[in-house]
Amino acid sequence: MKILSIDTATQAASCAVIEDDKLLGEITYNYKKQHSVILMTIIDTLLKNVNTSIDDIDGFVVSKGPGSFTGLRIGMSTIKGLSQGTNKPFVGISSLDALAYNLAYTDGIICPILNALRGNVYTALYVFNGVRLEKLTEYLLISIDELFALIKEYNKPVTFIGDGISIFKENIENSLLDVKLAPTHLNIARAAALGELGLKKLLKGDFDDLFTSAPTYIRKSQAEREYEEKTGKDVND
Amino acid sequence: MEFIVNNESMTLELGSKLGSLLNKGDIICLNGDLGTGKTHFAKGIAKGLLIDEYITSPTFNIVNEYTGRLKLYHFDVYRVNDPDEIYAIGFDEYIFSDAVSIIEWSSYIEELIPDEHISISIEKLPSRGIDFRKIVINHVGDRYNYIEGITL
Repeated sequence: MKILSIDTATQAASCAVIEDDKLLGEITYNYKKQHSVILMTIIDTLLKNVNTSIDDIDGFVVSKGPGSFTGLRIGMSTIKGLSQGTNKPFVGISSLDALAYNLAYTDGIICPILNALRGNVYTALYVFNGVRLEKLTEYLLISIDELFALIKEYNKPVTFIGDGISIFKENIENSLLDVKLAPTHLNIARAAALGELGLKKLLKGDFDDLFTSAPTYIRKSQAEREYEEKTGKDVND
Repeated sequence: MEFIVNNESMTLELGSKLGSLLNKGDIICLNGDLGTGKTHFAKGIAKGLLIDEYITSPTFNIVNEYTGRLKLYHFDVYRVNDPDEIYAIGFDEYIFSDAVSIIEWSSYIEELIPDEHISISIEKLPSRGIDFRKIVINHVGDRYNYIEGITL
């Protein structure tokens, strides 16, 4: 099975072509947010360079969020268009899952963080159970301090990964004891990791629906926000 | 700071003086009744940012984008029913970028406005004359101290 995967959930615009267990090629730019300008060119260049026509692609994988609203919309609409035009299935995978997967078989908790602005991160906590990646929490939009509190509850070593590290590095190192940060090259949300996870789903016949699937944005509800504003407390406290 | 203007070109000039001082990522909230000259003030800011394009009110498209000395996002949230609608367009990605953001009717989406910003309110002064306006410029945050040097 040959698949085309794109990740546009963060500043990085990334596209990969994977055939079964081989990554044929990947193009990633991590320079400004210019997905709408460069995404189609990247896809076109990549397909050409791996001698693949869009009709040779058996399925598509797209980052479904959480992440940059605009980025997610560009990615989702591009993949939906390609999927509908070629009549081939697609599946959405969270870039958080893909980032956690970059740290395969790491001991303790794996914590991908994407910058969600205003001191917040998009995150979720993961562990590897043998070779299986397990998600311990929902996808979350929380402040970095709320995340530290959550991690402390597990009382386990933690490894951070993702573009949030560059913003919160000092904060992380000052707030947690048993903590490691992923190397820089792993912190980019890339289409190869996303595609590998998506390929597994596509092989199982696990597709998303063209008309009903939508990006995962996550936002605290209005009621929660009003409560927090009024009381200065988190609604979960 | 308070300025009294008595014609459109003074509003433009004040806007332009502010525009020429703005830095990357600055946020300007612009409030005042219909017809007080908010969009004229925005036009002045655009001029100060060396934007040549014609500035129109983004009332119906919510945000217009321009490029000059810096990039400019010009919002008008007058038609918004709920701040969530503006949040959902990816508002944070706009205002926390390297561009300058002007937000007309920002009071409608107060919960989305960062604490640090420049606020401008324009008010008619009918007792002084039909074209008289009082323009008040305030700021929160040291990054905006430079506005204190503006004179007309």
